[in-house]
Amino acid sequence: MQGSATRPEKGRPSYGVIFLGLVILTAIELGISVLRVLPPLSTALYLLFSGLKVALVAAFYMHLRQDSRFYTAAFVLPALLLLVFALLTIAI
Amino acid sequence: MTTASASVSWRRYFWWNTDHKVIGVQYIVTSFFFFILGGALAGLVRAELASPATDLLDGATYNQVMTNHGTLMIFLWVLPVLAGFGNYLIPLMIGARDMVFPRLNALSYWMIPPAGMLMIASFFAGGAEAGWTAYVPLSIGGPPGQTLWALSVMLLGISAIFGAINFLATVIMMRAPGLSIWRLPLFVWGMIATSTLILTATPVLTSGLIMVALDRVVGTHFFTVTSGGDPVLWQNLFWFYSHPAVYIMILPAMGIISEIFPVFARKPIFGYRMIAMSSMAIAILGLTVWAHHMFTSGMDPRLRVPYMVSSMVIAVPTGIKIFSWLATIWNGKLRLTTPMLFALGFISMFLIGGLTGIFLAAIPVDLHVHDTYFVVAHLHFVLFGGSVSAVYAGLYYWFPKITGRMYDEKIGRTHFALNFIGTNLAYLPMFIAGLMGMPRRVAAYDASFTSYNQWATLGALILAASTLPFLYNAVLSWARGPKAAANPWQALTLEWQTSSPPPPENFPEIPTATGDPYDYGEPSPAAEPAAAPAAG
Amino acid sequence: MSHQAMQHAEDFRAGHALGLDHRKLGMWLFIASEVMFFGGLISAYLHYKYTLGFPETTDLNVVLVGINTMVLLTSSYTVVSALTAIRQGRQGRFAALLLLTILLGVAFLTGQLYEFADLYRQGVTLTSGVFGSSFFTLTGFHGLHVAVGVLWAIVTLFRGLRGTLNAEHNMAVEIFGLYWHFVDIVWIVLFTQIYLIV
Repeated sequence: MQGSATRPEKGRPSYGVIFLGLVILTAIELGISVLRVLPPLSTALYLLFSGLKVALVAAFYMHLRQDSRFYTAAFVLPALLLLVFALLTIAI
Repeated sequence: MTTASASVSWRRYFWWNTDHKVIGVQYIVTSFFFFILGGALAGLVRAELASPATDLLDGATYNQVMTNHGTLMIFLWVLPVLAGFGNYLIPLMIGARDMVFPRLNALSYWMIPPAGMLMIASFFAGGAEAGWTAYVPLSIGGPPGQTLWALSVMLLGISAIFGAINFLATVIMMRAPGLSIWRLPLFVWGMIATSTLILTATPVLTSGLIMVALDRVVGTHFFTVTSGGDPVLWQNLFWFYSHPAVYIMILPAMGIISEIFPVFARKPIFGYRMIAMSSMAIAILGLTVWAHHMFTSGMDPRLRVPYMVSSMVIAVPTGIKIFSWLATIWNGKLRLTTPMLFALGFISMFLIGGLTGIFLAAIPVDLHVHDTYFVVAHLHFVLFGGSVSAVYAGLYYWFPKITGRMYDEKIGRTHFALNFIGTNLAYLPMFIAGLMGMPRRVAAYDASFTSYNQWATLGALILAASTLPFLYNAVLSWARGPKAAANPWQALTLEWQTSSPPPPENFPEIPTATGDPYDYGEPSPAAEPAAAPAAG
Repeated sequence: MSHQAMQHAEDFRAGHALGLDHRKLGMWLFIASEVMFFGGLISAYLHYKYTLGFPETTDLNVVLVGINTMVLLTSSYTVVSALTAIRQGRQGRFAALLLLTILLGVAFLTGQLYEFADLYRQGVTLTSGVFGSSFFTLTGFHGLHVAVGVLWAIVTLFRGLRGTLNAEHNMAVEIFGLYWHFVDIVWIVLFTQIYLIV
C-alpha cells in the first residue's frame, strides 16, 4: 500500500499525464465559454468535462482506483444523494 | 473498590477524559439534565394550556417556551443520550478497547455543554420563538436569541458528525476476531444506520443554519422575500436533515429494544438479519422522504404523491421489526424486569405513533391535520412513548454494567407504571383535539378543546411525577445499591463478558466471538468470555 | 492511561483485513460530510439560479477565474507529487513541492479576492441581493477551506522538514492530500456551475 513510484501503479497513467488531461479539459471548457457555444450543447459538454475532471482527481490523485471500495462508496454515495437533493430543491 | 478510588472516579466525569465509558456517561448525564429542563418547559406549556385563554404566559413568551421545549428535547436530550449509549456500548459490544479516535470522541462530548449554555443564553437574550423548525421569514426577523439558537444547533451538529465518524470507523476497523458483520449486536446495527444518517444529513442543516445566521447578522438575502428569497428553500434544507433526524432518534432506541427482548424472553431474536437490514433500509429510505413535511407549503403538487408513497414504504421495514420482536417474545420465558416492562411499553406506544405517521403520510389526511395537535400527539408517541421508553429500558438494563450496582426493581416498576399511564393520558387526547381542528403552537384555543387539554395536562403532571422515582432509584442505587455481578441478566453479548463496571481497558484479553449474540437456548456457548469476575 | 498509546495494529485487524487504514477511513468519512455541507450551499445557489435567474452572471470574469482554476488543479498535481517524493525518501523534493503547493494555494486565494473585489466594484456584494448572498457564501466557504488547507500544508511542510514525516511515516501527507484534492474537486464543481453553465 505504501511506497509507490511516480506512477500510482505499474502500467497506469502517471500523475503528470493526469495533470495534462485536467489542463486540456479546462482549456477546452474555457474555449467553449469564450467562443460562446450555446446551451444545451455547452451545458452538456461542461457537465461531461467537469465530471471527467472530478473522476480523474478522485480516481488517481486520491487513489480511489487502487484503494478499498469502501472509500469510493464513502465519496460516491453522498455525491449521488446530493444530486438527488439538489435536483429536488431546484424543483420544489 | 476502595473508598479512595471511588472518590477519585466520580471526579473524572467532570473533566477531559478519552475513555469512551466516561464519555458515554458524560453524554447520558448531561442530556438527562436537559431532559429535566425541557420537561420543565413542557410543564409551563401544559400549565398554560390547561385553560383556553392566554392566562399564565403572554403569546410571545409562550412561543419561546414552546420553541425551547422542542429544541432542548430533540437536540440536547434524545439525540445526545442515544449518542451516549452508542459511545458506552459500541466498543464493548464489538470487543474493542475504545473508539478509533478517542480524543475526537472527547471533543464531541465537550462541544455539548457550551452549546447547551448558548441555548440557555439564547432564551434570556430574547428567546427564539419560531418553533424548533425555525421557519423563515419568522426566524429571520425574530428576537436576538434566535441567532444564538442557530449557533448552538450548529455546534451540536458538528459534535454529532464527529461522533458519527468515530462510530462508523470503530465498527468497521475494531471488531474482535470472529465478530463478523452478521454477528454484530442489533444495537450496533442501529448505530451504523444512525451514524450514516448523521454523517450525510446533518451538514445540510448546518448549511441552512449558516444562511439563517447570515441573513440575521450580516443582512444577506437568502430568505428575504422582497429580494426574491424563498421560504420553501429553508424548509427543504431543514427537513432534509430533520426527517432523517427522527430516524436518528428511533434507530438506536429500536436497537436497545432488540437487545432487551431476547434476554428477557430467553429466546433467540426472531429475524436477526431482517432486523439488521431493516435498520439500513429505514435509514436509506429516510433520506428521501423529507418533503412529506411540506405538503401544505405550495410545493409542486406533482411531487407530493411520490413522497407520500416513499414515506409509506418505510412502514414495511418498520413493521418487519415490530413483528420480529413480537415473534421473539412469543412463547418466551418472560422475566418482567423494569427494562422488559419499558420495552413492552415501547411496542404499544411506538405502534400508535408509527401508525399515525402513516396517516400523516397520506396527503389528504395531512392537508387536514397538518400543524394540528394530531401531529403533536403523533410525534410524542414516537419520541416519548417510543424513544424515551427505550432510553429508560436501556438505562435500567445497562445500569449494573455502567455503575457496578443494581437498581431497586420495585421502584423501577413504579416508575414504569407512572410513565406508561402518564404518556397515554397526556398524548391520546391530543389526537382527538387535532382531528377536531385544534392548531399546534397556540397559547389560546377554542373552548371546545378544553377537556382534551385538561386530560393532557393531568397526564403531563403524572409524567413529571414519574421522573422522581427514577431519579431517586438511579442516584441512591449508584451510591449505595447492592454490588452487581458481571452478568446479572445472563446475557450473551460481549459487554456482559467483562466485569461491572468494566476495567479501563474493557477486557483483560480481547475476546473471540464464536457464536451469534442471541443464541439463548442453543447448545454451544456464544462467546468465549474473557476472565469475567463474578460479583465483586 | 493514555488511550492513544493503547492502540496497536491488532486493534485494527478487522479493518486491515478489509484493506482500510483508520486515518484514511476517518478522512473519507469526513469528506462525505463535507460533500453534503457544500451540497447544501450549492443547492441554495442553484435553486435561485434556476428559479429566479441570475443576471449578475454577466459580471463574472470567466477567463480570470478559469486561470485560477488551472492554478488550483496544478496544486493538486504538486501535492500528489510531494506524496510520491516523501515515500521515496526525497525530503528536499517533498519540501519544494509542498512549498509550491502553498504558493499556488495563496495565488488561488489572491485570485479569488481579486474577483471578489471586482464584483464589489460592480455593486455585486454579499448583501446586494440573492445572487450576491449565495455566490459569496458558497465561494467564500470554499475559500475558507482553501485557507485552512494552506495552513495545514504549512504544518505538514514543517513536519517534513523536521523529519517527523519521512519515507516510513507519511500517512499524514496522504491525509492532507485527500483534503486538498477534495477542496479542488469542490472548486471544479463550483467553477462549472457558477461560471461556465449560464
